[in-house]
Amino acid sequence: MSEPLIRLESVSKSYGSGAEPAVRKLTLEVEKGEVLVLVGPSGCGKSTTLRLINRLIEPTSGKIFLNGEDVTDVDPSELRRKIGYVIQQVGLFPHRTIAENIATVPKLLGWDKAKIESRIDEMLELVSMDPETYRDRYPKELSGGQAQRVGVARALAADPDVLLMDEPFGAIDPITRDRLQNEFLRLQQELKKTIVFVTHDIDEAIKMGNRIAILREGSEIAQLDTPEAILSHPADEFVESFLGSGAILKGLTLKKVRDIDLHQVPTLTAPVARDQALKALQDSPDQVAVLLDDKEQPTRWIDEKALNRTSQPIEKSGRPVTVNLQPEDTLQDALTTMLQSSVGMAVVTDRKGKYLGCCTIESLAKLIMSEG
Amino acid sequence: MDFLLSLLEFAFGRQEQVLEALAQHVGYVVSVLVTAGVFAIVTGIVTRRNQLARELALSIASVFLTIPSLALFVIFIPLVGLGFAPSFIALFLYSLLPILRNTITGLDGIDPGVLESAKGMGLSPLQVLLRVELPLAWPVILAGIRVSSMLIVGIAAIATLVAGGGLGDFIKSGLARLPLPNSLEAIWLGTILCLLLALVIDLILQAARLATISKGIR
Amino acid sequence: MSTISPNLSSRTPLSERLDLIVSPIFAVILGLIGTAVWLYSDIDSITEDILAPEKLQRQLGETLVLGFSSSILVILVAIPLGIVVTRKGFPRLKNFLVDTLGLAQALPAYGLIVIFFSFMGAGITTVIFALATFSLLPVLRNTIVGLEQVDKSVIDAGRGMGYTSRQILMKIELPLSVEVIIAGIRTAIVINVGMSALAFLVGGGGLGETINSGLKLDRGPAILIGAVMVAILALVFDFLSALAQKYLKPKGL
Repeated sequence: MSEPLIRLESVSKSYGSGAEPAVRKLTLEVEKGEVLVLVGPSGCGKSTTLRLINRLIEPTSGKIFLNGEDVTDVDPSELRRKIGYVIQQVGLFPHRTIAENIATVPKLLGWDKAKIESRIDEMLELVSMDPETYRDRYPKELSGGQAQRVGVARALAADPDVLLMDEPFGAIDPITRDRLQNEFLRLQQELKKTIVFVTHDIDEAIKMGNRIAILREGSEIAQLDTPEAILSHPADEFVESFLGSGAILKGLTLKKVRDIDLHQVPTLTAPVARDQALKALQDSPDQVAVLLDDKEQPTRWIDEKALNRTSQPIEKSGRPVTVNLQPEDTLQDALTTMLQSSVGMAVVTDRKGKYLGCCTIESLAKLIMSEG
Repeated sequence: MDFLLSLLEFAFGRQEQVLEALAQHVGYVVSVLVTAGVFAIVTGIVTRRNQLARELALSIASVFLTIPSLALFVIFIPLVGLGFAPSFIALFLYSLLPILRNTITGLDGIDPGVLESAKGMGLSPLQVLLRVELPLAWPVILAGIRVSSMLIVGIAAIATLVAGGGLGDFIKSGLARLPLPNSLEAIWLGTILCLLLALVIDLILQAARLATISKGIR
Repeated sequence: MSTISPNLSSRTPLSERLDLIVSPIFAVILGLIGTAVWLYSDIDSITEDILAPEKLQRQLGETLVLGFSSSILVILVAIPLGIVVTRKGFPRLKNFLVDTLGLAQALPAYGLIVIFFSFMGAGITTVIFALATFSLLPVLRNTIVGLEQVDKSVIDAGRGMGYTSRQILMKIELPLSVEVIIAGIRTAIVINVGMSALAFLVGGGGLGETINSGLKLDRGPAILIGAVMVAILALVFDFLSALAQKYLKPKGL
């Protein structure tokens, strides 16, 4: 196994004598290219641990190694220029433009002007913000979500190997937060940085982390493992209570629709004769059939009652298909969609909208149960 | 109306005198603002972390402002004689508080998230001070400089009483010659020129504000 | 503290305590300097004459009368005016005043006193009115700023509970801005006691006479002792006002 990129060896941090240590003899390794989430209740020391890595806080004892080198061997400011740092309040410089903000560390490192200019544009595009529009704006003109995107762009500007993120999406509304999380995961797939991510939100931890460290007071590790492992086998009562009720429901974000065995109901393709349709329905154990259009996209749910209403053409009977799922959606999305659908199951289509099958509660449950 | 005309006549008839007094007055404003400004800002920066030092500096500067202006002007005469020196010292001590207090308030008022991210990105403490803290505190500091400049203009009129020159000269000579002709004009001229000077300084500072403060924080 | 609006948001307990310690210390230091000068410098007959106790006593009395009369005058005008201007109907006037009153700090008190003299004649009354006019501006500004900084949500709550505008003024706004108003009064007193040193220019008496005699007759000790006396006086009043500021604050602030 290759050398872990970040290694904390028996690190402690206490403030003054008599007070409980914020971090107590923590030993932790972060593998290259992984997202390690530190999660725990308020005050457990997770932020402190994060800030030990870039020496915003100095350890009372123990050692921290970055890429094999002791971090205390380097001048702290120089160390931090090699590490990306994203915080909850974002902290963009209000008196500098977006471009100048992003250029901060490259300038400190002495990059030449042309390289910096192109890098700024590159970073803005990376976080889905049009460089032409945003380069010369000021932070006060941005929304919370946009500001944090720039915060991430700024942290990645000098192409650090390591990114430290302290509740980066904590101050953002839930809808935007969800979107940012998804975009960030996509980014990480592309960039494969080594990331230490702090959050107090267990759902965020499960979603974002390759491995999760659940921390107790004193930054003591209660369990360090993959999200699936923790969800299926919580180490003790503390972890269980931290996971909260519904560990199964939490696990729904980890699997995708493509893992489900899709159920196949009878499909009808217009134009279709009424008696043929009726026969197909009667022959199958399902109560509904799906009507496909000429592009094989599902348009309506057809049941027997609809077919018997001869006053209407088949293409207009039954109920319209309003929601659909795609293989990349999570099981959580599937459950939500199925509950919204008028027939208690949801169609699954590919990216182009072509019908693939149906997702039912039974098939969902089967998948969850099979993992044990 | 008559008086106004007579006032203008008086002023234009003595252009050299007016300009000299004006120049001396402006000299006080500029020399004191620069020296007291630098001193107060540096003091503010140096004491910003230590609460005791900071409150002490503020209290002392505040005492200077409490001491009556005439008293402060004359108290240094035994040490430095009459003229420019005691006037300068008194005005210097007076201008400290507004600038010092605003430097401290300005630096205190910076969003801690900005400071945290600046440090976390790898700016050294000096870089944080010069590139982040001072630019962000500058609008408030400039407001303090404005207050000090107004104070200086008003109080420098007293310099004439210790042979320090300035626009107060007109007021003094006017008073001495009352009710002779042109005495009233002299008094009003001295007073009004102070206000006009203040207006000009204010405009200059406003221009400075636009020029030196980033659009992002205006 | 003279013509600056006091920065109340940063009044920590430490700064309050220092407020009450530093002024007295300076007053004592000045007193020591004055005493040293009195004891160790060359006090010839002319100087003795300038510093004759009856003279000093009279001047002291005049300074006090001047200081207090003009202060009372200012308070009676500036505070009601400040209240009126901050009521609903005058936002533009209020903003205009706050901006220009900043400029008005450049008005030379010296010039003002002499101008008043030119049409009111010599004497203490002239100076009282001149000083009142001069210190009106900062006190008015402080009152406006002080009333403005009362937390709007508290006022809102009061209105929501059914207080009339008058009740809101009396029960919420004034009590919460008492600190700032007292600071304004303190400013007025300090300015007026201080500027009273100029009263001698127009026959208004005061301790400035001693300073002036010292200047005219080139007697250093007289200059210094006169200056020290008026300075100590101002510091004493500042100290007393600081005490008032501390103990008249409503509890809970």
